[in-house]
Formats: sequence, C-alpha cells, structure tokens
Amino acid sequence: MLKKLTRFYHPKTIEEACQFLGNGEGRTAVIAGGTSAALRADSSLEALVDISHISELNYINKDAAFYRIGACTRVQDIYKSPDLKGPAGKLLQAAAGKIGSTLLRNAITAGGNLAGLFPWSDLPVAYMALDAEVVCRRGRPKRTVPVMSLIETRAPQFLAANEIIAEIIVPAYGPGTGTAFAKLAKTANDYALISLAVRLTLKDGAVNQARIAVNAITAQPVRCLDAEKLLEGKVLTEELTAEAANKAADSLNIRKDIRAGEEYRREVFVVMVRRALNEAFENANRKGGQQ
Amino acid sequence: MKLNTRINGRDLCLEIKPNATLLETLRQAGFKSVKFGCGEGMCGACAVLVDGKPRTSCITLAGTVEGSEILTVEGMGNPDQPHALQQAFVDAGATQCGYCNPGSLIAAKALLDSNPNPTAEDVKDALDGNLCRCSGYVKRIEAVLSAADSTASTTGQKKSTRGKK
Ligand SMILES: Cc1cc2nc3c(=O)[nH]c(=O)nc-3n(C[C@H](O)[C@H](O)[C@H](O)COP(=O)(O)OP(=O)(O)OC[C@H]3O[C@@H](n4cnc5c(N)ncnc54)[C@H](O)[C@@H]3O)c2cc1C
Ligand code: FES
Ligand code: FES
Repeated sequence: MLKKLTRFYHPKTIEEACQFLGNGEGRTAVIAGGTSAALRADSSLEALVDISHISELNYINKDAAFYRIGACTRVQDIYKSPDLKGPAGKLLQAAAGKIGSTLLRNAITAGGNLAGLFPWSDLPVAYMALDAEVVCRRGRPKRTVPVMSLIETRAPQFLAANEIIAEIIVPAYGPGTGTAFAKLAKTANDYALISLAVRLTLKDGAVNQARIAVNAITAQPVRCLDAEKLLEGKVLTEELTAEAANKAADSLNIRKDIRAGEEYRREVFVVMVRRALNEAFENANRKGGQQ
Repeated sequence: MKLNTRINGRDLCLEIKPNATLLETLRQAGFKSVKFGCGEGMCGACAVLVDGKPRTSCITLAGTVEGSEILTVEGMGNPDQPHALQQAFVDAGATQCGYCNPGSLIAAKALLDSNPNPTAEDVKDALDGNLCRCSGYVKRIEAVLSAADSTASTTGQKKSTRGKK
C-alpha cells in the first residue's frame, strides 16, 4: 500500500492546502480521516496533504436558517454534538452515529465520507434528503454546489486538482418538517445493506416536499424520484406510504453481494421505507417540531 | 521520514517509512500493548488515544499524527500501579486471553475522561468498536462502571464492590 509515498504535507490553512495540491510535484492527494481503504491502497500517490488538522475546516455552526459543518469535522463530533437539533440536526446525528464504530467515527470526517464515496457511506443520504450544498475551495476562490452534483459526478472528477471540499451547508428546517434515518446491516459495525434517509416537509397537512435517499442497496447514493413525486401534494395515508415504498423499490437497481441477495434487500427495503415515511410524518406533526 | 510525536508523555522523534501505519510504528518503538487483530479497522485491538480520542492505529498512517499526543496502555498504568480501569477489568473478570484488553481499556479511558459518570448504555456505545472473542461483553461493562465508581470516590484507587457477585 502507498508504495510510492515519499512525503506528507501538514498545512495549517485551506489556502496552504490548495497550494500543496496544485504544486504539480507528482501525484498528490488529500487525506482527511485517512480511513478509506481505496486511498491507502493507492500505489501511484507520492505525497499526501493532511488537512485533518486545519482548524478552519473543523466546526459545526448554526445561524438562523443553516447548519454549516466544516469538512474535517469528525463524524463522532456530529453524532455527539449538542448543537445539532431539529429535523436536520437529528437526521445528521442519526446517520453519523450509525457509521462504523466509535474508533472509526473519531477518524472519519464529514467531507471524507462524501468525497471517498462507497456504497455503504451513510452521511451522503442524509445530505441528499436535506438538500445540502457543498462549499468547494480552490485557495481563496470558492463555489457552492448542490450535494447531488458532487455525488453524481463523484468528487475526484468533480473537483479540480487544487480544490477541496471545505464545508457542508444544511438547511435547518423547522416545525412542519420531519426526518428519519434507517440502516440495515448484519451487525452494528458491519457495512450497510441498506442505508436510508427520508424527509417530509408539510404544508397545510399535505406533503409539500418529499425526499427519499438511499445507498448500499444501490451501488451509489440515489433519490427515489418517482416515489417522492407520488407523495408530493398528498395527505399521507397507509395506502399511500405502501404504494410509495413499492415505487421506491421499483426505481432501484438493487445490488447483491456476499452479504445479501436482491430479493431479500428489496423485501426489507419496502418495509423500511414505509416505516421511515410514517416516522418522518409523525416527527413533522410534532408540536413544537422534531427535537 | 521523521515523525515527531509525544507518546505516553514523552516527546519522541521516530524514523519511519512514509507509508507506515501508526500500529507498526508504535510496536517497533516498543509499545507492544498495541495489538494487531484485523488490520482493517474492524476489531479495535489496535486502539490508541490520538489527542485524547480513541482510534484504530492499524489504519492510521503514522504521518498523520505528526505533532499529536499518543497514549497507549503502557501510559495508563503497570502491574505495580494499575490504572483503576485495569484493576477493575481484572476484578470483574473482563479478561481471558487479554488480546482485546489494551484496545478496550483505551476506549474505556476515553469515555471516563469525557464522562466520569457513564451509564451502561454509554459504556456499550463507547466500546462498540472493540471486539472480544472470550470474556464477552457484559463483564467489561461492569468493570468500566466500577472503575468509574472507584475513581469518583475520594481515595481514588479504592476498590469498588459494585462489579462483584
Ligand atoms: C472498517 C470500516 C467500516 C466502515 N463503516 C462505515 C459505515 O458503516 N458507514 C460509513 O458511512 N462509512 C464507513 N466507513 C468509512 C468509509 O468507508 C470511508 O473510509 C470514509 O468515509 C472516508 O472518510 P475519511 O474522512 O476517512 O476520508 P479519507 O480516507 O481521508 O479520504 C477519502 C477520499 O476522499 C478524499 N477527501 C477526503 N476529504 C476531502 C475533502 N475535504 N475534499 C476533497 N477530497 C477529500 C481523499 O483524497 C480520498 O480520496 C468505514 C470504514 C472502515 C475502515
Ligand atoms: S487491528 Fe486495528 S481494528 Fe483490528
Ligand atoms: S479476552 Fe480474549 S478477546 Fe477479549
């Protein structure tokens, strides 16, 4: 592993990090939590730029409408943060808390979990269900993009050589919005067979916005657009959630591997979506909002 | 490549290969409490504290802990003066082959450092990355809770009776 590696850089600022990445001295990559097996197996890399100690990448802030999470915030800090509340905060915490184990969560970062995308990555579905945006920095210049464009193109292709993910911006939502996260795995620590995040934002009792984002059952994170469309504009009933759950399953290219076959995953998935929709709906209707 | 760290309270400058893991580096430097189990981040036998946070050293590249503080079990206590957690693991029978113990002790220490009064649920959550093939998952919870009791009591090292049958 990393047979050609000769050096580490330890920048203290984002601008410094981007300079090291862009200096053209051989194959260079960012390392954040450093847990990605793909990164550690890369035998072409000559240098690693360790961004995990950059303090301007490590924070969870909240203003009136948004949470802002620094890309190098450890997912354990998201899981344990007293500042994350409400429908968005609770969804992020639920997803972060289901990642690996304490020992891994202390390493894995909010940005690394998105940039080094695997079928079992849990935070990306939460970001998608919340319509998060991602701030990418190239030294000083920055661009803010929908999380979906980064996922669809994949970070290594999407980002320029000297560009990093700096921040994830998540709308906080409030009363009238409910979320739910669910994960199926063989053991508490094993990779997910299904990772699911749901958001329902209601208006006058009916579903105004529905988000159903899944991973692990698919090769990469996707939204179940048909099911979302079916729900929008309607009042949630038992029949409707059941129909939406089936539609969600129909829209997927279901993955199979040594852990579980396609039929099993599908059957469990339909139940999980139905329950998550009901849970999100209940949360959206909570007096004073989801806490 | 040079690596500057502070291990168990001592500043050390180690000569390492750029692709060395923290696990290899620590063992080569003599810290043999740090165990190799799976090498993939799944078992927790290799856990050490990096700047106070328990992490799997087997998948941590040594180059990423430049300037960090590391704590291994050697820095917690020794047979003559065991840490309250080490004594509690022995008293509660939370050890058989002992291979998982350094990692569990490190994870337990991190818990007590941030939460001196944990519940059984807190302990389960904090040790969720430490597999044990022998003594199981009940006695170590008793052990951590009783260590929390004993460190809370004024005498510091006084043995707790809570974990005892
Ligand atoms: C045993 C084990 C179990 C796991 N279980 C789960 C699980 O259940 N759920 C889950 O979601 N994840 C899980 N993971 C983590 C997942 O597989 C990845 O390793 C992790 O998400 C990578 O995050 P990192 O911060 O460690 O990034 P790194 O490993 O440092 O980097 C990953 C990739 O992203 C790039 N990168 C990192 N940060 C940035 C940035 N800010 N800007 C641009 N590029 C960047 C790197 O160059 C690299 O290519 C597990 C990992 C292990 C080892
Ligand atoms: S050896 Fe590190 S987690 Fe198993
Ligand atoms: S005591 Fe043997 S693995 Fe835990």
